[in-house]
Amino acid sequence: MLSAAARTEVVLAGVFALGIGAVPARAQGAAPRHVKASLLAETDAVQPGRSLQLGVRLEMEKGWHTYWQNPGDSGLPTRVKWELPPGFTAGEIRWPYPIRFVSGPVVSYGYEHDVLLPVAVVVPLAIAASEVRFVARVSWLECEEACLPGKAELALVLPVRPSAREGERAPLFAEARRRLPKREPGWRVSAEGAARTLSLAVRPPLGTAVRDAYFYPVTPRLVDYSQPQSLRREGAAVRLELARDPNGAPAERLVGVLVAETASGREALEVDVKLVSSPARTSMEKERKP
Amino acid sequence: MKRLALKAALAAAALAVGAIPAPAQAVVGQPAPGFTLVDSNGKTRSLGDFAGRTVVLEWWNHECPFVGKHYGSGNMPKLQKEWTGRGVVWLVVNSSAAGKQGHVDEAHANALMKEKGGAPTAVLLDHDGRVGRSYGAKTTPHMFVIDGKGTLVYAGGIDDKPTADVADIATATNYVQKALADVTGGRPVATATSRPYGCSVKYAD
Repeated sequence: MLSAAARTEVVLAGVFALGIGAVPARAQGAAPRHVKASLLAETDAVQPGRSLQLGVRLEMEKGWHTYWQNPGDSGLPTRVKWELPPGFTAGEIRWPYPIRFVSGPVVSYGYEHDVLLPVAVVVPLAIAASEVRFVARVSWLECEEACLPGKAELALVLPVRPSAREGERAPLFAEARRRLPKREPGWRVSAEGAARTLSLAVRPPLGTAVRDAYFYPVTPRLVDYSQPQSLRREGAAVRLELARDPNGAPAERLVGVLVAETASGREALEVDVKLVSSPARTSMEKERKP
Repeated sequence: MKRLALKAALAAAALAVGAIPAPAQAVVGQPAPGFTLVDSNGKTRSLGDFAGRTVVLEWWNHECPFVGKHYGSGNMPKLQKEWTGRGVVWLVVNSSAAGKQGHVDEAHANALMKEKGGAPTAVLLDHDGRVGRSYGAKTTPHMFVIDGKGTLVYAGGIDDKPTADVADIATATNYVQKALADVTGGRPVATATSRPYGCSVKYAD
């Protein structure tokens, strides 16, 4: 089904070890690959004037991971540079919420096993060609204990048709969408910042109880990723206390993803709130006073 | 004057929140955590030995591609040569635990530095990771600059281009170079913190 309609070709995929000279033996010669990158489309054709969903899929060997938009203490985010047909424009990667990788005092954010990073492409109203070719130059950092920079040039050819059907990879897009953080008006989030801590007040919709929560910061250099986040119940709401990065940078807003565990499952919420400075001590500081 | 006032304010702030455990990292503007480690030539080195001098700490794992970027290109050795030549103490710190990536013994550390043209004052072996943890060293490289009074004046990345690509060095702003120029020129460090980038430090579990 897909094979005739959409050809996926891997032009070049490689992992480049950059240590010049004393490259460790295991990275010499044909560098072992631990991540397979591919470029996929949700549909089997391009429809003029209709937005197109493309995705970069990273399939990682067991034990290996790649990084989220904010990699945390170490690592690099995956990046894509596009070469598109005339009149097409690609949006930014929409990042599924990540997981944490904890290695002693180093906490990083990313993905393991398999992830699809979706990108929406704006398609022009008029397309002269009968098929179009997309090229994505993808770079990432793959880490197990050791890290290797990887890159691939991925190409995808799709026919241009007045109608399109779901491609055979559509379920991967649906899964990625399930993991995208959402703006849920039923949830109320506000943030306060003190000298050493940040505090996120989270009020879930009526009847929803938060069992656990973790905040993945997008705002860079604000949160100390290595410190535990403590959750306190305040009636129907919860308060999440985060440690500020003492060598960080001031911020006006707190942007990130709140992943909350509730009785009905996991909610990933987009957070973008004003960071109100709290002259009073936060509850965490109060508690620790002798 | 201004600096004194700031210091007093910081000291007062530190007292006021004395009940909160100190962050598990070195904080810019505060005294740098003291340490004593044995270097790759068997010599014991303490931070206190270098009172009055500017000290650079560079976290190092030779198998990390980001370290490879800055040694393979000659960028890090060049900085080390330039600044040790101007009286700055440059200490390379290896916090890779035994059996972990980048772990080196004395002879291996010396051989690697010779091969790469590295010119630090010393390579310090921190295999239990105690010093790395006390500074909050997260990445290789992760850079710290301490002034002659023992105050931490810079913590962060080597530069502003967080990639493993050698080609980015030419267009990067080197924060360590700038911080050292400021400190040795008697000026406050303009960019005192930045995001460290690289591989995670391979601490003992």
